[in-house]
Amino acid sequence: MNRHSIACATLFGLGYTLAASSHAQEVPNPDQWTPPREAKISPVTQDQLNAADKDTTNFLLTNVNYAQTRFHPAKKINRDNVKNLHVAWIFQTEVKESLETSPIVVDGVMYVTTSFSHVYAIDAKTGEQLWHYNHKMGPVTTYCCGPNNRGVQVLGDKVYLATLDSKLVALNAKTGDVVWKTDIADPELGYSETMAPTVVKDKVLIGTNGGEYGIRGFVRAYDAKTGKLVWNFDTIPEKTVGVWATKDATGRDMHRDIQAEKDQLAKIGDPYQKLGGGVWQNPAVDLATNRIYFVVGNPSPDLDGSPRPGDNLYTDSLVSLDLDTGKMNCYFQYIAHDVWDLDAASPPVLVDVKDNSGKTIPGVIHAGKTGHIYVHDRKDCSLIRFSEAMVPQENMWTLPTKEGARMLPGANGGVEWSPIATDPGQDLAYAINLHQPMHYRVENSPYPNGKLWLGGAFTAIPGEKQSGNITAVNYNTGKIRWQVKTPEPMIGGILATAGGLVFAGEGNGKFAAYNSSTGKELWSFRAGAGVNAPPSSYMVGGKQYIVVGAGGNTQVNFRRGNNIIALTLD
Amino acid sequence: MVSDLILMISRGIILGALLSAAPALAQSIAEKVEVCAGCHGQDGKPIDTALPIIWGQQAGYIYIQLRDFKRGDRKNEIMQPIVSSFEKDDMLAIAEYFAQKPWPNLGQPRSPKDVAQRALGAEHSVGCTGCHLEQFQGAGTTPRLAGQSQEYLAKTIADFRTRARGNNPGMSDLMRATSPDDLAALAEYLAGL
Repeated sequence: MNRHSIACATLFGLGYTLAASSHAQEVPNPDQWTPPREAKISPVTQDQLNAADKDTTNFLLTNVNYAQTRFHPAKKINRDNVKNLHVAWIFQTEVKESLETSPIVVDGVMYVTTSFSHVYAIDAKTGEQLWHYNHKMGPVTTYCCGPNNRGVQVLGDKVYLATLDSKLVALNAKTGDVVWKTDIADPELGYSETMAPTVVKDKVLIGTNGGEYGIRGFVRAYDAKTGKLVWNFDTIPEKTVGVWATKDATGRDMHRDIQAEKDQLAKIGDPYQKLGGGVWQNPAVDLATNRIYFVVGNPSPDLDGSPRPGDNLYTDSLVSLDLDTGKMNCYFQYIAHDVWDLDAASPPVLVDVKDNSGKTIPGVIHAGKTGHIYVHDRKDCSLIRFSEAMVPQENMWTLPTKEGARMLPGANGGVEWSPIATDPGQDLAYAINLHQPMHYRVENSPYPNGKLWLGGAFTAIPGEKQSGNITAVNYNTGKIRWQVKTPEPMIGGILATAGGLVFAGEGNGKFAAYNSSTGKELWSFRAGAGVNAPPSSYMVGGKQYIVVGAGGNTQVNFRRGNNIIALTLD
Repeated sequence: MVSDLILMISRGIILGALLSAAPALAQSIAEKVEVCAGCHGQDGKPIDTALPIIWGQQAGYIYIQLRDFKRGDRKNEIMQPIVSSFEKDDMLAIAEYFAQKPWPNLGQPRSPKDVAQRALGAEHSVGCTGCHLEQFQGAGTTPRLAGQSQEYLAKTIADFRTRARGNNPGMSDLMRATSPDDLAALAEYLAGL
């Protein structure tokens, strides 16, 4: 037809092949300078994982231990000497995009992930690369809030990864070679993976993203040896109507028009098939009762309740399942029929708590986007108390309007996906918060076949100041113990240590250590890019290290980087 | 008028290509993409600034658009007949073919500072980079916007606002939440990146 087409045909003739796209944020031709080396680790046993809460050397689970306390028992770095903390090494990944990884450390080998589902094994003492798994991404990825990955877990001789194109991958922990790969769900329908798997008793537990795309959410268990599905729990049951709750967990009226919803239900039936309910973060595992606890995200579409009459079970809920069967034990819904996307994303934590009679019982706590920390009875998920609000709340629960209704918190929270930390010795939970005044707008449109389905828009209000904070809450009283204000909203996570410290980073590149009892800042460092990832702690050769990713954040648009920074004392 | 002429020429080219390209199943990818240059340009620069650059665009995005044209979720009287015979594998291969091409430089100027500031203010409010990423390069099924034709960007934004482009209601919602002046600044800013 024309010269160009002939040229095209020639190109094909010369051997055009279908190749997976790389992304602009990824360095082309990676690893040219780094031949792979073997990661010398011993197989990680279930007993080791069970005892991770006492393991000062390793960092075996995304949130330290199965209870997800984010309290690391090492204390060589403490309140007295943290002022001398300095960089041990910096590792630069080949992906300059949002870093949300929780570094995992086993026998002096660190496993970190980046956006677009890369995995690196690094010598945790020197920062040298051992191997790099560059996932061949399928062309179709559909995800909200950045091409993030929050990390891996190791069990036995395998590293487990869930990818942006919704696959579950087991890698050889020594070499990074693929052992098995399983499709989780269809990315063309809005499913994606950004969370780290939780691996326990030969099961790989994984949720899914997609609450902004009209998916039907789930948590699944896959066989750790083979990748075969063991059980599936739909976070959206076939009957989602619930009890027509008019108040949220704190007792505030949500201004639902129940009659209008009932009329709509009679017209369209139960909306369970496209109701969202993603699970962004890891379940906590109660090893004593063999139960898991996780939180379920928002209903689809986020802001328009009209296509989804009813309470929209089990969105915006804490849910507990039996680990062996996936059968539900109990649930508690924070916000029925949410039209603000103020859902539940931060991973729940298992700690002993005081009930309302003052008796100490097994509890589970969760930090909500609402800005409250909720305290539950682990036995039946019932709510014991909720904390003082950690962020300003105004006009709750004003319904979204066409023009935009102002309400605080903004749709990112409060506490976003960021994991909290706890110090059970002090009865404290530490949470990082966002304060972003927003307008909530509602629009109506039909299900768009796996496309973005917000049902409106939440927009930051120009001219209204945003900020953040680190807040310590006594979960046995619900009172705020201390709060440190930060100039920008906070997202990423926090770590507490037995050294009496908490570590957290900011979008402006500041990474700091605070006295965990008072909030007094004891040390800080400028990373040059947003520190929006949960820190980890480990020991090699008798020295304690703190490590954190500094890669910025897509969701709040903090400056991107590609650094994994390890810090230690002389 | 000029656009009408281009449209007529394009239709002629496309019709000719379609007539000469049967049967569809026997076509190679090279043959399938011949028709594209008629509008999207032999060198990746579209023949009309109201048309999008597809060279160097994200493969996932191109695939989804082809799929949506075929399904009728995205309306376009030229594109729909072209893709009607394509199967999923064809569309993925075509998408990958164009994604591998270099993004052409349309030579659009950097936006003035006041326009850039207005655009970035709008971006901050809506959060465009949450999907299109920091440098507006896109990824997967989210398109690159940086350096796209300003006229095409402006038209697309307008079509999202009116829902004339109906295959991404989430984008429509976000565009409807943003003022036309801010969106005009965004189109100018993005085109100049």
